[in-house]
Amino acid sequence: MPHAAPSTFTGAVDVIAVLVLLTEFAMLRAPMLRSQVRLYAFQSLVVTALAIVVAATRHIDEIYVLAALSFILKVIIVPRIVLRLLSRAEVSLAGSSAFSVATMTLIAIVMSVFAFFSVGALHLQSTALPSAALAISVAVVLVAFVLIILRSDVVSQAIGFFSLENGVSVASLVVASGLPLIVDVAFLFDLLVAVVVFGVLMRIHHGRTKTLSTDSLDRLKG
Amino acid sequence: MSQTQLAAPVIQALQDLTILFGAPLVSGVIAHVEGRIQGRRGPRVFQPYYDLAKLFRKETVVPEGSSWVFLVGPIIAFSCYLIVPLLIPVLTTYGLPLGYMGDILGGGFILALAGFSVAIAGTESGAPYAQLGASRAMTFGALIEPTILFVVFAVGIITATDLPYALAATVRSSTGEIVRPAHILAAIAFFLVVLADTGRIPVETHSGTLEFGMIDEGRTLEHSGAPFALLRWGSTMKQLILYTILIDVFVAPWGLATDRRPASVVLAIPSLLGKAMVVGCIFAIIDNSFSKLRLFKITEFLAAAFLLAVLAVLVFYLGGG
Amino acid sequence: MNHVLLAIVIVPVVTSIATWWTPPAISKVVTIGSGIALFLLALALIPSATAHSYLAVGSVLRVDALSVVFLVPTTFLYATTSIFAAGYLHLPEGEAGRRYARRFFVGLNVFCWSMAVAPLVNGLALLWVMIEVTTVISALLVAIDDTDGATEAAWKYVILASLGLGIALFATIIMYYAGTRFFGSSYDPSYNKLLSGAHAFPKDVVRLADVLAVLGFGTKMGLVPVHTWLPDAHSEAPTPISALLSGALLATSFYAILRFFQVSVRCLGPAFPRNVLLIFGLASLVLAAFYLLSQRDLKRLLAYSSVEHMGILAIGMSFSAPLAIVGVLLHVIAHGAAKGTAFFGAGSVARKFKSKDMARIRGGVGLLPWSGPMLVLAVLALSAMPPFGIFRSEFLIVAGGLSDPRDAIAAVLVVFVTVAFFGLSWFTTKTMLSPVPERERLRLGRGETSWLIVVAMAVGLVGLVILGVHVPGQLNELLQHAASQLEVAR
Repeated sequence: MPHAAPSTFTGAVDVIAVLVLLTEFAMLRAPMLRSQVRLYAFQSLVVTALAIVVAATRHIDEIYVLAALSFILKVIIVPRIVLRLLSRAEVSLAGSSAFSVATMTLIAIVMSVFAFFSVGALHLQSTALPSAALAISVAVVLVAFVLIILRSDVVSQAIGFFSLENGVSVASLVVASGLPLIVDVAFLFDLLVAVVVFGVLMRIHHGRTKTLSTDSLDRLKG
Repeated sequence: MSQTQLAAPVIQALQDLTILFGAPLVSGVIAHVEGRIQGRRGPRVFQPYYDLAKLFRKETVVPEGSSWVFLVGPIIAFSCYLIVPLLIPVLTTYGLPLGYMGDILGGGFILALAGFSVAIAGTESGAPYAQLGASRAMTFGALIEPTILFVVFAVGIITATDLPYALAATVRSSTGEIVRPAHILAAIAFFLVVLADTGRIPVETHSGTLEFGMIDEGRTLEHSGAPFALLRWGSTMKQLILYTILIDVFVAPWGLATDRRPASVVLAIPSLLGKAMVVGCIFAIIDNSFSKLRLFKITEFLAAAFLLAVLAVLVFYLGGG
Repeated sequence: MNHVLLAIVIVPVVTSIATWWTPPAISKVVTIGSGIALFLLALALIPSATAHSYLAVGSVLRVDALSVVFLVPTTFLYATTSIFAAGYLHLPEGEAGRRYARRFFVGLNVFCWSMAVAPLVNGLALLWVMIEVTTVISALLVAIDDTDGATEAAWKYVILASLGLGIALFATIIMYYAGTRFFGSSYDPSYNKLLSGAHAFPKDVVRLADVLAVLGFGTKMGLVPVHTWLPDAHSEAPTPISALLSGALLATSFYAILRFFQVSVRCLGPAFPRNVLLIFGLASLVLAAFYLLSQRDLKRLLAYSSVEHMGILAIGMSFSAPLAIVGVLLHVIAHGAAKGTAFFGAGSVARKFKSKDMARIRGGVGLLPWSGPMLVLAVLALSAMPPFGIFRSEFLIVAGGLSDPRDAIAAVLVVFVTVAFFGLSWFTTKTMLSPVPERERLRLGRGETSWLIVVAMAVGLVGLVILGVHVPGQLNELLQHAASQLEVAR
């Protein structure tokens, strides 16, 4: 059956969500850690744009505040912290991975298919809800999983986690835009704390092993 | 008030003629613009016509030991390129009688047949570079195929038909359809396919003379005279056909004739060629701003196109977008 | 009672700020004081938590019986761990020691603060925030020893726990979305509100939220198959931190799962949420029981025992009898006390023998006259021997399970608890009750490393015995109250 055309708002939200997902895929294939961080910054920018679109169309002024905060935090501060860490590290700036790019892409595609099917199984046919965007955000989360699992360096894994948070942000903007501002701010604050902790642990790791690779982390078993 | 209405066969013939005679012009304009981008004056825009005319006058040399396939291949390919314009919206928004002869897959098959006949003609020559080009073209063709299939699926489920006319009509119907992610993804995927299929950077240096980097161009190295002219002409037509599909089906299906008055049909011709030249210029700009990928990296480029096409289907089919 | 609530939130904050400045010796005392104070405050909350259905301070803090059930073991461990830590820490002289002590005590206090506040906040979103705070702080504490093992364990922990919490955040947002169908697009996701409207939430959405919550918070709780960080972090962290991770942090994550359980049960009826917990619980119990048989590292052994007990908790929640739920809640408290004591003992043994490798530990009881026998008792308590609290709680769970239509599960539970018992008792007989080799006696000498360790363990055992012999009346009432909150509203 031919679907009715979505409203312009839904379409715009979906396109932005797709952009987030595509950035996630790009991170998966980005060979250089720096470019991965830049992709993360870009992705966060896209999420900020989504927040502005949602705020404007649903007339929720609080989200403007959220957009501003997330811009400052995720587009400027977090990438800056990670990039500074990279410039201190001065070792193998190319990431490493267990599989070839094509294999990773295929795995990620399979994960996205799974995401779409699982959200499709919920039958969320609501008029006000861009359900495609929800499915996409689940896909972003799963592709972030793939990124974290298959890339074996601390920076990719950390960026994977941060971008996972971006995926959840998309979902929260789409389905839970009415979440109280205090909660959203608490989420962001948490992210900041997590970034600092990731940074500290990355520094400790680099200080001990002189690499960013996680290949040496195989002592603890059983 | 009665107005002159053009008969359907006439319009149909006009479609074919537009592609046939418009294609070298579009190529000429692109080559000219490209020259300008590179800081040259560039060839005259009508240069392709002169080239073709010259080639038709030249004698035909057939490599020793090659069979009739060597000469028939270009003819088959050329006739394929003449059939495809009948199936796609070139000048009109409404379907013409022969337009329902084949769907978007049918058009794809015929284009593939054309590529195949050029490839075996190249192989038949027995020359190593031509064979190399042919085998590469087939290899990457096989990798492009899944992407095209998924683009077709995406189009199919958006419109619930597999007719290119129907998609164009859907796109025209509202802005919601344009920002629909499935549509945008499919369009971008198809754009990448066109990039690869017309032998543009980052897949291939279309104007290079280095045989090792050649894919599509390599196949025709051994041909000469009239068959070579047909191949050259055919490849400009293929380019225009792909541009037409990109423009009239995906990106900008405006400016087509909505009725059968001679004026609107005739006006649609420059409108199409104009849009094709704009698209061609975009391709030329891309061509001159990126570097060519290594041969083995091309699979990654094609994987990206495939990813977009798969996402288009997913987003639409499972996400309703 | 509101001031008690506020005091619980404020005291550890003040302590952690103070320990930033004070020298190590004073930090130890201050932290012990803060731990004991917090435990007493938590006990003070019990009567009012049973008297009222809930207490709220503003829109952020809210306490009901269920919260207090989880607050009690956390604060109990805060108190005993700070006593233990005071005896356990061997600080190098000079600036390095001061720096380590500052990091350790500030971290410990903030960690305990976050775990104590998590059950007090009102609403799923804030709960997630608090649990994320516990993760990041504890990750730093796991890494604090700066060894290869600690670095590796901390990294694995922070990555896996963050992934889990990412899923949990998704679950929270989906649950919020479920609520928007009933409350409109903007509302405050407090427990009262969610519970009042849960019956009308869309079922598919709540199902998804419930599964994601169990998977996400289950990662932090140590449910198989997302438990893999747990043995590493527990074995490589400094022992006081291991005790807190195992006894309090896992329980806090279980608390979060129960909050989702509460809403889901209202919406979906009991079957679905129970089955989800049952699957994860069985997997954890079975796998952990087998891993317990093949451990060489003392602290890893205790870590797998935690996985096993978390499995028992999840299985207990899947039984329909109210008795089983009371058992589960009692088990949370008893496990906290038992596991804390066991880790204290393990820390004492590891300090004495300078190794966690069980192949090198012989004659523990002979060389450690107090903490050795007490470790044996704690391990017996973990294996559900009377007269300790875990015996009572597991008895209640199994009794509840046998009255369930699916009584085979209770039988499975008993079988694997027995397997786990073999694993644990094999370890004790081999390392603790074996005769002391003469060479070891000469090298290490007989005697305790610190009397504070002995005190901490004794306190834990006394608590376990109290829970086992006779649960105090008010505590029992609290458990009944909390259990009734988790049942289907009739």
